[in-house]
Amino acid sequence: MSDSTGLLFTFFNLEVAQRYWREVAAGVAVTLGVGLATVLTGVLAGLALAVLRATGRTALRGPVVVFSDVMRSLPPLVVIIVLYFGLPSLGLPLSSFAATWLSLSMVLAAYAQESIWAGISALPAGQMEAARSTGFGWWGAMRFVILPQALRRAVPTLTNRVISTTKNTALGSVVALSEILSNSQAASAMAANPTPLTLGAIAYIVVFLPIVIFARWLETRVGHR
Amino acid sequence: MDVLIQNFFNLPVYRDVFPYLMGGLWTTVWLSAIVIPLGAIAGLALALAQSQSTGRGARWAVIAFVDFFRAFPPLVLLIFLYFGLPFVIGDVPKLVAVVLAFVLNNAAYFAEVFRAGLQGVAAGQMEAARSTGLSRLQALRLVVLPQAVRNVLPDLVSNCIEIVKLTTIASVVGMPELLRAARDAQSLVFNPSPVVLAALLYLALLWPLTRWTARLERRRLR
Amino acid sequence: MKAPILEVVGLRKSYGAHEVLRGVDLRVRPSELVCVIGPSGSGKSSMLRCCNRLEEPTGGQVVLDGLDITRPGTDLNRIRQGVGMVFQHFNLYPHLSALENVALALRHVQKHPAAEAARRAHEALAQVGLADKAGAHPAQLSGGQQQRVGIARAIALKPRVMLFDEPTSALDPELVEDVLGTMRALRESGMAMLVVTHEMAFAHAAADRVVFMDGGVVAEEGSAADIFERPQQARTRAFIGRYTGRA
Repeated sequence: MSDSTGLLFTFFNLEVAQRYWREVAAGVAVTLGVGLATVLTGVLAGLALAVLRATGRTALRGPVVVFSDVMRSLPPLVVIIVLYFGLPSLGLPLSSFAATWLSLSMVLAAYAQESIWAGISALPAGQMEAARSTGFGWWGAMRFVILPQALRRAVPTLTNRVISTTKNTALGSVVALSEILSNSQAASAMAANPTPLTLGAIAYIVVFLPIVIFARWLETRVGHR
Repeated sequence: MDVLIQNFFNLPVYRDVFPYLMGGLWTTVWLSAIVIPLGAIAGLALALAQSQSTGRGARWAVIAFVDFFRAFPPLVLLIFLYFGLPFVIGDVPKLVAVVLAFVLNNAAYFAEVFRAGLQGVAAGQMEAARSTGLSRLQALRLVVLPQAVRNVLPDLVSNCIEIVKLTTIASVVGMPELLRAARDAQSLVFNPSPVVLAALLYLALLWPLTRWTARLERRRLR
Repeated sequence: MKAPILEVVGLRKSYGAHEVLRGVDLRVRPSELVCVIGPSGSGKSSMLRCCNRLEEPTGGQVVLDGLDITRPGTDLNRIRQGVGMVFQHFNLYPHLSALENVALALRHVQKHPAAEAARRAHEALAQVGLADKAGAHPAQLSGGQQQRVGIARAIALKPRVMLFDEPTSALDPELVEDVLGTMRALRESGMAMLVVTHEMAFAHAAADRVVFMDGGVVAEEGSAADIFERPQQARTRAFIGRYTGRA
């Protein structure tokens, strides 16, 4: 069996799989780790940026808009490369985890800011007026009236962006982050057989399918009020 | 500050590598120019198959395809095809693997956008067109599709921007697009400025498009 | 003659070059219902919105219970708890139930504990006759019911004076009476009320005083009978005359 060159034995070679599945599994932990960290910081930063923009002060709004435009126009891989290869020359070396996390967080923050800001601006002015007229300060009105509604409206676009961002964790492989793709590639090279890559592909499906399903569920639950 | 300029904004280095990066930019542009129409047509076909077909099997197949290729990381798809295809069909030119990976990924996104666009066109439009004797195909081409496209124009443009950004992953398999050119230049001059220059070029190319998309969005809301 | 609870003195408001309020004087005494009527563009709503500084006056003063609230450094959030506002388009919070709408400020501005806030909110809803709708969301309520929740939301904070900005203008005709009934009951309970409205029959029957505004100033004021039955000024007569068919 092992010297058959059929498709099945090339891509699904059980012997190779047995030897290298642990490497792929180790990659899963890193993918999940960097993905979770990115989503948390990215969404929270995006929320903070949107709130800063909502204050209306030009000194705050200007930088937020510029940051958001730049981070949405740059390919994420370029950001990762610039941070990983560029910062050391300024005396700020970053690990591949840090470079990947920071780049993807900034990109997600930019998109999250846009979505949440769109949610905020879509609300009628009367909401803020009603809240202020009952004695709420600006921040109280944001916290209890504006943001709950804006966030609900932003859920569909936010969930799509979160999914895109977690997919982009694979870009970390380009700067030697030991996530699924780079581990699978290394194992495939060692085995001279693409089975570890197949394992990696399956690992991605296993990781992302629940996320996509959860995102769809969240949309139906929260996104329509 | 000087360190920043020396390493990120080194003008003499910029001057030296600029022609080389221009070559990379050209590759980025023609690669996008191939992938976008192919992906759009495939996506449109998928969306039409989903909306026009009566069989549940066809609809489910399209949904499965779209969900899969939207969830699957494009870089992984590219690597998989690039290293895996030769095992299946022998020697494969780099470009084929790249284009195939991109089109599979894009078609899924275009399919979603067109689906939303088609859904947004009132059912009565098709009925009205058919009632004046137009065939199904004519009604689609002359009445439904123009409206569908106009409905989702901002999303279509935004998708195209994403595709241009996506071309950077082709650098990983050695495709000589802008990022690859920049990284090669960087290793030659031992200075990260080329990559920063590439970033500035991407900004110059895509920022205006991003602004234009925002304007299209605002016009749509009115 | 009791001291006024709300007094507007020489109020001016401009939007750029356009002067909307040209020196308005007006007062509301405790337990008094004052209706402000007048043609569109006369500045009625702007004047009302200056009273809780939702709009900033460009000149003049607003004096609440002897305190000049137009002075810089005024704690607006505290003042606004004493001035209730009811909006033309209700402005209820769609993501909250009726009870939560009313209780929100009780909880997070006046800092009542949750149980106490809920109790007061229930009381306010009962006062407008909607105790049974406490759990409903605005989307499930008719326009008239939404506006009454809006009134409950304002009175729950126990304000000294209530401002009404065309409270029935956005309602279907058959729902208007519900809201007017609630407003009449509120007046019976002794609340001072300043109402901008187009409902002439209501103003004629329920108001203690009527103020006719035109072109950014108070053109004429007096008791309801004075204004509706014996208007002195020509323009007041012209305005009232358009409505006598409906009065």
